[in-house]
Amino acid sequence: MTLLKTYIIPRILQWALVIFIGVTLTFLIPRLSPINPVEQAVSRLTAFQTLSPEATIALRESLEDLYGLKGSLFDQYIAFWKRVLSGDLGPSFSSFPMSVNAMIANGIWWSIGLLGTAVVLSWVLGIFLGTLAGYFPNRLWTRVMESIVIVVYPVPYFIIAFTLLMLFAYYLPIFPLVGGASGTPSFSLGYFGSILRHSFLPAISVIIGATAFRFLMAKALTTSERTSDYVTYAEIAALPKRKILGVFIIRNTMLPQVTDLALSLGAIFEGALITEIVFSYPGIGSTLYNGIISADYNLIMGITLLSIIGVATASLLVDLTYPLFDPRVRLR
Amino acid sequence: MGNLVEVENLRAYYITQAYGVKRTVRAVDGISMTIREGEIYGIAGESGCGKSTLLRVLMAAHKPPLTVVEGTVKYVFGEMVVNALEMSEQEISDLRWKEISYVPQGSMHVLNPVRRIQDQFHDFISAHRQVSKRESREMTRKYLTELGLPESVLTAYPHQLSGGMRQRVTIALATILWPRLIFVDEPTTALDVVVQRGVIQLLKDVQEREGSTIVLITHDLGVHANLAERIAVLYAGQIVEEADARTILKTPRHPYTHYLIHSLPDLDERVERESIPGRPPALDNPPSGCRFHPRCPLAIEKCKNLEPQMVYLNSNHRVACHLVTEEIGLVHDAEKR
Repeated sequence: MTLLKTYIIPRILQWALVIFIGVTLTFLIPRLSPINPVEQAVSRLTAFQTLSPEATIALRESLEDLYGLKGSLFDQYIAFWKRVLSGDLGPSFSSFPMSVNAMIANGIWWSIGLLGTAVVLSWVLGIFLGTLAGYFPNRLWTRVMESIVIVVYPVPYFIIAFTLLMLFAYYLPIFPLVGGASGTPSFSLGYFGSILRHSFLPAISVIIGATAFRFLMAKALTTSERTSDYVTYAEIAALPKRKILGVFIIRNTMLPQVTDLALSLGAIFEGALITEIVFSYPGIGSTLYNGIISADYNLIMGITLLSIIGVATASLLVDLTYPLFDPRVRLR
Repeated sequence: MGNLVEVENLRAYYITQAYGVKRTVRAVDGISMTIREGEIYGIAGESGCGKSTLLRVLMAAHKPPLTVVEGTVKYVFGEMVVNALEMSEQEISDLRWKEISYVPQGSMHVLNPVRRIQDQFHDFISAHRQVSKRESREMTRKYLTELGLPESVLTAYPHQLSGGMRQRVTIALATILWPRLIFVDEPTTALDVVVQRGVIQLLKDVQEREGSTIVLITHDLGVHANLAERIAVLYAGQIVEEADARTILKTPRHPYTHYLIHSLPDLDERVERESIPGRPPALDNPPSGCRFHPRCPLAIEKCKNLEPQMVYLNSNHRVACHLVTEEIGLVHDAEKR
């Protein structure tokens, strides 16, 4: 009961507050932008034909109404909240009359599939290798691995991505150059294989950097854990190495790693902008990019909102599950 | 009673090399001693005199940069004599906890913070015995009850226990497999006096119950007075005096032992305590002659450059001091010619 009162409820309130502030900022920031979508749409329409001034005014009014830009800032804000709470993110400006909901739904599964797999795989791989490297710092394979990671880690992401793309899609055309899949969507093996083939390079490009980061983090955590009093004691007591690694080291280094995993998973909802652009992958990142260059407020706000909720919810989940991993938190 | 541990002329140095500068810290420098079966053997000395290093080597748990450069440590297990410094890793781990155990210094952090106490006991027991989780749990419960520890600690996490309770749990953890030989390093440091009593009593109980031999290291002569049967006083990596506890505490012969005892506070007299002048020497460059001479108010000329020899005042009492040697009319080997 006290746990609920002193721990769970404050966390949920905090979560709600973060989302409230996030939504408010999402609402305000595009309205500070110098690009006016209504004017843009009007000029698009009047570029090739002349409209009477009355017709232009009427057009402008109906566009403002449609885009939710009618009335004072406060009226717009209230209307915005109403729509958000009813789950309607409005129409897209650039791909009118498609709704933002539909555009997000088109992109999000590509991003979740690609990044979810990449994040989880690199997390497992990086921790496994990094922990071993931290525990056996003088082995040959540790040094080899460490050298590779130290070379790879500082390379900017887009260079890795372009190199992979050029090597394995252009010079050696093993993998497709663009897109998320080819053929008609169906539950056939062929279509599924096409998805895998298309996502392989983008996934590898993300996994390389993320694994290197995770490797370094796991190694550093293990190195400090290895010299802790309880590990030294377990070693003197001649506990089996597997037990020391599993129960004494990984169990303790896992705490920050779990937090970090949840936050990375939360960040999937904003997509991976550079990855998706380099590989022309149809994820939420590309959608966001298109929204930004065409001043599609509703789309930008929709995606930003989604990623705010994603990250906030992920950290809420971390907070709520942390007592299960770390008994020391339970008391506070 | 026979000997359990025989140490001969042991020298263990920390040898480090950084940026081409080689540094040798002589933490244990020529120690010989025997520990008898069933006794509580105390090792006393200031911080930095090599106590903990000596302990590490005695239980063959030394790792580089700590290197044994000379000497032997032998365990006498009945008919079997084991050369501790030449054991393989497998032989060492076979002895640990079943025959030789260890209660570390600073028991605050030696328990894994994310494991319940009963699970930690299982980790340690199952490393040396084939036991199921239920059997180890039962063993633990029984042992803790015998030692008078509350059953509630079984399901607790380390952070939920007080410092004294953690130390007692650690002692139970180290002794649950009835080892013959227990090394105890500073068991009462950072505990208040009342809790110290409990810990001391617990060690006594364990020793009486199991007839184990305890090697006890602490700078606190009060603890030694309570527990130890024989005490060795260590100074700068060497034994300067060794005798039964009563002799050491009542009639010490070495000036350093004298200072060590008289720096203890007494309740009934509110006088300024005599503290030991100066500081313990740096062990990478120990003073010549008697290592205590720069701090010794009684030092004579030869203390400065002639290393004193260990002399036996009786079969139990030995001391390395020129003053004692002269007083009883012995001549130093180096002066005989």
